[in-house]
Amino acid sequence: MSGTSSLIEVANLVKVYGDGTRAVDDVSFVVHPGEIFGFLGPNGAGKTTTIRILVTLLPRTSGKAKVGGHDLDREPASIRTIIGYAGQFIGIDVDLTGRENLILQGKLHGLSSEAARRRADELLEIFGLTDARDRRAAAYSGGMRRRLDLAQALVHQPPLLFLDEPTTGLDPQTRNALWRHLEEMRAGGATIFLTTQYMEEADKLCSRLAIIDHGKIVVSGSPTELKATVGGDVVTLALPEDADGAIVDLAKSALASFPGAGEPTAFDHSVAIPVTDAGQSLSALVRRLDEEGVPIAKLTFTTPTLDEVFLKYTGERMRVEEAVTAHSSMFASMRGRNR
Amino acid sequence: MAKSIDVREAQAAPKNQMAGDGRQPTDRSEPHRSSAARLVSESLAIYGRNLKKLVRIPMMLFFSLFQPMLWLLLFTQIFKKLGQFPQFQQQGYSSYLMFFAPSVLTMTVLTSAFQSGMGMVADLEQGMLDKFLISPIHRSSVLVGKVLADASRMVMQGTLVLVVAVLMGARPKTGVAGVLVMLFTAACFGIVWAGLSNIVALRTKNSEMTMMIGILLTFPLLFMSTAMMPSGLLPGWLKTVGKFNPVTYVINTTRDFMNFGYSWMEFGKAIGVIVLVGAFTLTGATRAFKKATS
Repeated sequence: MSGTSSLIEVANLVKVYGDGTRAVDDVSFVVHPGEIFGFLGPNGAGKTTTIRILVTLLPRTSGKAKVGGHDLDREPASIRTIIGYAGQFIGIDVDLTGRENLILQGKLHGLSSEAARRRADELLEIFGLTDARDRRAAAYSGGMRRRLDLAQALVHQPPLLFLDEPTTGLDPQTRNALWRHLEEMRAGGATIFLTTQYMEEADKLCSRLAIIDHGKIVVSGSPTELKATVGGDVVTLALPEDADGAIVDLAKSALASFPGAGEPTAFDHSVAIPVTDAGQSLSALVRRLDEEGVPIAKLTFTTPTLDEVFLKYTGERMRVEEAVTAHSSMFASMRGRNR
Repeated sequence: MAKSIDVREAQAAPKNQMAGDGRQPTDRSEPHRSSAARLVSESLAIYGRNLKKLVRIPMMLFFSLFQPMLWLLLFTQIFKKLGQFPQFQQQGYSSYLMFFAPSVLTMTVLTSAFQSGMGMVADLEQGMLDKFLISPIHRSSVLVGKVLADASRMVMQGTLVLVVAVLMGARPKTGVAGVLVMLFTAACFGIVWAGLSNIVALRTKNSEMTMMIGILLTFPLLFMSTAMMPSGLLPGWLKTVGKFNPVTYVINTTRDFMNFGYSWMEFGKAIGVIVLVGAFTLTGATRAFKKATS
């Protein structure tokens, strides 16, 4: 049982759209107070649909959900008082100034005019918008709009925050600053449910996360737990561009028989294989591939990242709009070795 | 299943500066105000926002007045001689301007009404509607705030039209008090007509479509009413059609107040028609709003 300590409880949530798309397909999870819980998945995985259902903006097809202990059907109004929400698409009034936008949100959340003004100034300061506070939001840059939108979600100091891809489209500096803000908020006792398509973000921020693909949760746990499931290190062998299926199979069988190695996974023109200690086994591995006559275009090894977790559970690499920085990878070019 | 967690406890949890200096939720102005009092203050907050948008871009206010003003200035010139024909004079109008100014007033609110729907589409597209719906307000506050702002816009625009008419030489028979009744009637009609615009807006979620349908509806309604010609001079079939056209009643009332005096009989008829039309358009708009927001 999830007990009394869950802030969000979702059981068998399903959303089927009018055109028959099963955007969310039997999803269950809990979020505990004080954690940053993340939904990691590619575009169209069902992240936004789930979040819009939980913030009472979208009706669900079936399943149960409680937010802050309030039933989604019976007490949507109570849910709205305790949550803050910043959607994937920014919701600001560009005809108003940044400050006016914040004051309006404050009033809608029941603050007096005076309290709303005070809170607006506080948030403008925190999000570095004080200089631009009396400018119309139409003149704001993308990053500023995103920050203003996020500030709006915080006017009423909600104990529970829903953030739908909060850093998509942000430059690296702003993204880093936002991460710091979110970590500070968590330290201050807030609970955050966020969605992201960035592995690095999920790894860095989330205390627990669920990988979601095609509307289903494929696996969930803390980033450390998840990375442990892909074993220790992963060696990735890139084959030459012209390698055919036979060569891929040859590479797979050569690697599979290697002592201490796990099950190899083939994708594109590469084969990935988990090994317990890549540094130790690398030279033996290269020898084995040489003996079997496997051509090597490139050989890399990585300590596990969520990339590998995603690959393991979904059978494919996650596609994102921007490249994800490689963590600790040692690059070993073996080009020409077999010639 | 789990028991509900104590939310107040979660809210009162220590907060850092991000979450707000550990301020208690009691900072809320009056947490236990009645539902009606909250409805009023929420509606006023949204009204204030809509009004701010309106005055923030004064050009919009004037652009939307461009067409009615053109009509007022040009039509009164084109048909100036008509106002001197005995047949026209027999209808009781001292000039075409006196006859036509109330028509322009009505046309102004019709045009303004269709801006209402476009504003709704903009709120949908900009994610503002989501922001309203996610906050713990009565959903009707969104509509009430919008209706109030629409009415304010219509009164502002209508006033400008009548001021120009007066500058051109029109002298309303009923004076300032009568002009207020004229503006009130026109704005009431504008609001129920804005309901129609919002139905289109919420169903199509497309501002071009909302504008097109608005224009398509406005002109036939104006031409098939007594807007251009006194009813006594219209061909029989148009006179009959005009009887079923709500625009006729609004024009007749405002025109009577302009030319003849306090004709409460016509005013009563106009209000009756407005209520009847409103029963359809405003309930339809509310229903479309509920559908679009759930």
